Amino acid sequence: MINLANLTKRYGDRLAVDDLTLSIRPGAVTGFLGPNGAGKSTTMRMILGLDRPTSGTALVCGRPYHEIERPLRTVGALLDARAVHPGRSVRGHLLALARSNGIPARRVAEVLERVGLAAAAGRRAGALSLGMSQRLGIAAALLGDPGVLMFDEPVNGLDPDGVRWVRNLMRSLAAEGRTVFVSSHLMSEMQLTADHLVVIGRGRLIADAPLADLLVATAVLVRSPHAGDLAVRLAAEGCEVVRRAENELVVTGAPVERIGDLAHEAGIRLHELSPREPSLEQAYQELTADSVEYRVSEGSAR
Amino acid sequence: MSGAIAAEWVKARTVRSTWTCLLAGAVLTVLGAVTLGGGRATELVREGVTGARLPATEGVVSAMAFAQFALVALAMLTVTSEYSSGSIRGTLQAVPVRGRVLAAKALVVAPVLFAAGVVSGALAAVANHALLAMPVFGGFGTLEPGRTAGDLLRLGVFCALAGVLTVGVGAAVRSAAGTLSVVFMLMMGLPLLLMMTGSQAAVELATRLPLFAGLAFMGSESNLTGGPIPYPAWQGLAWLVAWAALALAAGHAVLRRRDA
Repeated sequence: MINLANLTKRYGDRLAVDDLTLSIRPGAVTGFLGPNGAGKSTTMRMILGLDRPTSGTALVCGRPYHEIERPLRTVGALLDARAVHPGRSVRGHLLALARSNGIPARRVAEVLERVGLAAAAGRRAGALSLGMSQRLGIAAALLGDPGVLMFDEPVNGLDPDGVRWVRNLMRSLAAEGRTVFVSSHLMSEMQLTADHLVVIGRGRLIADAPLADLLVATAVLVRSPHAGDLAVRLAAEGCEVVRRAENELVVTGAPVERIGDLAHEAGIRLHELSPREPSLEQAYQELTADSVEYRVSEGSAR
Repeated sequence: MSGAIAAEWVKARTVRSTWTCLLAGAVLTVLGAVTLGGGRATELVREGVTGARLPATEGVVSAMAFAQFALVALAMLTVTSEYSSGSIRGTLQAVPVRGRVLAAKALVVAPVLFAAGVVSGALAAVANHALLAMPVFGGFGTLEPGRTAGDLLRLGVFCALAGVLTVGVGAAVRSAAGTLSVVFMLMMGLPLLLMMTGSQAAVELATRLPLFAGLAFMGSESNLTGGPIPYPAWQGLAWLVAWAALALAAGHAVLRRRDA
């Protein structure tokens, strides 16, 4: 269980995290989505006591992180898989972490086995591929058999097998009743992994809802040479219409059949009429459209 | 706390740089001591002195004034490598009470550097004694167990305190280059510069900096000082301890306040 209350982090005059209040519950995978620079990593660092909040609190199991005795037994986290001394062996890295929290040394071999790095135990951490580094980071998170797990972009650098493995791992950790909090910018990945989603943009909470709730808004894509006329008609029927291009509309609020009929009655030719699959990607883009930190303005490259 | 210390010990022994620094420290101490001891003996022989007595630890303290930087590098890396690699975040996740991390590092560095100082000094003394016993060098070598043991112990204490000072500076500065610059200025550059100015106030200040405080504590008759250090050995130790404590306090203040 992780509880954030009015959590805020300010760097100079920039608000990295802006009054975030939410709870991350056990027994589920909670996805943490947001564009780059939205404040996901800063939020995670504040939960782990690495960054000090400007105001507000972050509690893990009801306590601020620094008050947890032997915290690796309560919270396991993977923030940056590359943040390991490159000259230290895989085994040495995990052994130091184990010692720091009174975790028996045999756990090192166990977690290495679990993440599939047993054969690489003697290798220097700096000699690992990015995918193997991610596995090492996950091994470190699992070391203390904690009830709360946090992963920042865990599938970065993993091959398709690795991605599937992480997905199954997250699901099984949640099924064991643990709190699993995973950040990602890969909506497709979250759609497959998460039960619940927290979406932030520019440090502010945009959505905090079960995955299913975010998927329902279905839209219809309409292409027509008379898109303008059609938009007026559809709007008059109470539909919500977004004109994406000269002859392209995205319509919500009416089924495909109704839109087709309306166009026919008005004698407007259609070149395309297609319901868009309910995807997280789409929901996400609509949610975060106003809060993308570094937008590339179209045509700016010309 | 014991967990944090155990972790720091594992971290120190599982990187090659620790062992490289220890080896370099020993080699530099031996070479330095042999050069200085041999030089002193040659000087005496040339002056036609007979029956002089040179202790086995002749030149060892002065050699350590330079060789210490290999050991300082070891102490520095226990802190700065955490920042350069980013592993400080993992360390603070495991031990979120920041003072405890710093204390654990100091408590691992201090005994390791104490041992390094004693062992390096002992090796240097053995090599020096073998050299000074040779007729070419006047056969001036003497080995008084009590005095030698005392010299080596003080050498170890000096290295341990230099290491603790470096850990503190490292936590305050965070970068390797910055840490080494600050420690070098405190342990070598600044005292020598101040000494060279010749002004009374500057010399007074210089003798309170860690280099001369250490030399005073170790009872060096080094020509580095250009004159006797104007206070007894125990005050040298007190100044050294004060500098190490000040550095640790600075490191702790930064570690506590700044985001990792």
